[in-house]
Amino acid sequence: MTTAISLEGVVKTFGSTQALDGLDLEVRTGEVHAYLGPNGAGKSVTIRILLGLIRQDRGRVELLGGDPWRDAVALHRRLAYVPGDVSLWPNLSGGEIIDYFARLRGDLDTRRRDDLIERFELDPRKRASTYSKGNRQKVALVTALSSSAELIILDEPTSGLDPLMETIFQDCIREMASEGRTILLSSHILAEVEKLCDRVTIIRQGRAVQSGTLSDLRTTTRTSMTVSTDEPITGLEDLEGVHSFRRDVDHVHFEVDDPAIAEVMRHLAGLGIRSLVSRPPTLEELFLREYGDEPVDG
Amino acid sequence: MTPFAGFGHQLRFVLRLDRVRGSVWFAAMIGVVLASALSVLSLYGTVAERQIYAQVATADAALKAIAGPGYGLAAAEPTEGAVVMNEVEMYTYVAFALMSVFMLVRHTRAEEDGDRAELVRAAPIGRLAPLAAAGTWVALLNVVIGIGLAIAMTVVGLPVAGSIAFAAAGVGLGLVFVGITAVTAQVASSARSARSTASATLGAFFILRAVGDIGSGRLSWLSPLGWAQSVRPYADERWWVLGLLLATAVALFGAAVTLSARRDLGAGILPQRPGRTEASPRLDGPLALALRLQRGSVIGWGVGMLISGYFLGLIADQADQLAENDAVAQILDQAGQGSITESYLATMMLMMAIIATGYTVSSMLRPRGEERDGRASPVLATPVGRRRWLFDHAAVAAGGTFLIMALCGLGAGIGYATSTGDAGQVLPLLASALTMVSPMLVLGAFAAALIGVRPGWSAIAWAGVAVVAVIGYLGETLNLPQWARDVSPFTHVPLVPAVPFDLLPVALLAAVTVALAGVAAVGISHRDIG
Repeated sequence: MTTAISLEGVVKTFGSTQALDGLDLEVRTGEVHAYLGPNGAGKSVTIRILLGLIRQDRGRVELLGGDPWRDAVALHRRLAYVPGDVSLWPNLSGGEIIDYFARLRGDLDTRRRDDLIERFELDPRKRASTYSKGNRQKVALVTALSSSAELIILDEPTSGLDPLMETIFQDCIREMASEGRTILLSSHILAEVEKLCDRVTIIRQGRAVQSGTLSDLRTTTRTSMTVSTDEPITGLEDLEGVHSFRRDVDHVHFEVDDPAIAEVMRHLAGLGIRSLVSRPPTLEELFLREYGDEPVDG
Repeated sequence: MTPFAGFGHQLRFVLRLDRVRGSVWFAAMIGVVLASALSVLSLYGTVAERQIYAQVATADAALKAIAGPGYGLAAAEPTEGAVVMNEVEMYTYVAFALMSVFMLVRHTRAEEDGDRAELVRAAPIGRLAPLAAAGTWVALLNVVIGIGLAIAMTVVGLPVAGSIAFAAAGVGLGLVFVGITAVTAQVASSARSARSTASATLGAFFILRAVGDIGSGRLSWLSPLGWAQSVRPYADERWWVLGLLLATAVALFGAAVTLSARRDLGAGILPQRPGRTEASPRLDGPLALALRLQRGSVIGWGVGMLISGYFLGLIADQADQLAENDAVAQILDQAGQGSITESYLATMMLMMAIIATGYTVSSMLRPRGEERDGRASPVLATPVGRRRWLFDHAAVAAGGTFLIMALCGLGAGIGYATSTGDAGQVLPLLASALTMVSPMLVLGAFAAALIGVRPGWSAIAWAGVAVVAVIGYLGETLNLPQWARDVSPFTHVPLVPAVPFDLLPVALLAAVTVALAGVAAVGISHRDIG
């Protein structure tokens, strides 16, 4: 397994603001890697370092086997980028901008481009000044997705898209992943990441707080359960590994550490289970646990 | 809700935004006019000195084109006020007009481009309140500067009535340009085009009255700049002309309000055609894009410079007729080595070059705007190196500078040939115009160096333009010491065709340009792109 992106102990400071504080990040070749974090965590700064637009103060950065600062031009032939806040030339049409970027990369596949324009329902003749945020984002997406780049870096690419377009975006990402391309997808939209990604890195205040596959992350956490039984449930709250136990009129809710699930099921089995709903933790819950009681945008 | 609801809030808001900017305009305008007036008063303290000045000024076509008809100079004993006006009046009026253009666009069209206007309009603010508040604030700023100016001129010892007339004419012209800009802000589809349309209107008014003042004076009545001068401060003031300025200002602002009520937020009156589905094959790199983005402004400047050059050339032969008095001709001859016509043309070319430096610097600052607005990062994330990106923009700035100056020289040559039948000045004037490119590029390279090293300070490049303009236009008036004049690259360039071409200063200016470009190249390769 080779590595497409690797950062070790990266530090970046702007004036008195510590944007990255010893960040580690590893993206393997051919995977869809989610880069999750709240606003201001340092996601965009990381991406700007990967693009060679800014240089880290300390730490080691490697991108596609090169140094993103020193080898910027050569590396950029092999990657495509979708910025989070898409700003376009107001007098140019969307079609002109898409073609311009394709030519800058020397990589214009008109069939693929036309297909994407159709799927995203973009009017390429409109001037960029008249595009909405979502349409500007579509221009950037068509630009990046119509390329044959081996690495695609997307910075919160769907924040302006409607749910229908988001589905199309997810299809496109799956297609690209099936072609063996590497995708780094930064986001704070957890549901989107859950459906698409092989592995996840969670960043907070300039540091990676967790990294691994989704199931890796989940084993370290709990499962939520809602149960109702014929016999009254007693003693469950005293079991090892059961948390947040709460009793309703005819249901009980609790969370259970995954290693303790078997013991809980044995306890419930004798009580005549009428219904049982069990749900793996969402990334929201992972997030909340990571960030504790602090507000998510802190 | 009434269309003007929230006017008070909006007015306080723009006042808050412009605390510093407004103060800088106030201090700069009053400071420069005051210093100029004091300098003129010390240079021409006696009646005899003023008589000589008046003889030369009324005979010098270049001075007339720049300064105006010189009301009161024809008197047997010209007053101090008349001489001061001939030296400072025109610049002051132009400054009032430019201030109104920049400040009004900033609070109207620029807000819409930046999507901030949407936030404001979504608040309980009437549709016309932002425009009305912006207009009121800029008008207020004009009046405050006018009051300061009238006081300053009185304090240095000039008659009260004339000082009030001078300040009032400046304010009147400023208000006319509040009106003109309010209209262009509705008609244009971007802040840039609103600003350039209003500035081009000012340029056209300047040329109209320059041609009018050298000729019979009739054309000057087509220009509000001519009206402002016709108030004749310190020379038998004609107060009624102020009414003309004020009525025009009110009519224009009323028209702007009407237009504003009829259009959608963010849209212009002029419709936008749909664009191309696919890019032209020529749009294949940063150079092509920079050309495409600046096409409009190069064409605009080129046409403006061609027409201005034509008229300045057309009236050149009148320079000789004005100076038919031998004594005066001798004084003028001492200024340059060439003929009176040649020194007139050389001076005009210098003045046009200083104005056109506005193009050079604004064009060179484009990449900074691209970076600030977030359009540079996606381009630099493709296989385009930073240096190439910056220098492709620089190539357009430099090429555009060559082109518009060539058109200016060509226009002057054709104009001269039209009125005299002598086509022999076409090549010398082209040479003159192109010689002027070397100091212009120094300022462009200065802007590039700022972008490379201190992008946050790149607006200082405009201060550079202001400094060379003050030195070029007011160096004599302010009686600046030579070392101060030497700061401006324009001081060193040979004034062809009045003096022969000299390679050394041009080569030195080119060397400075290259050095500054080197600083830009090193800077852009080593800094963070923001």
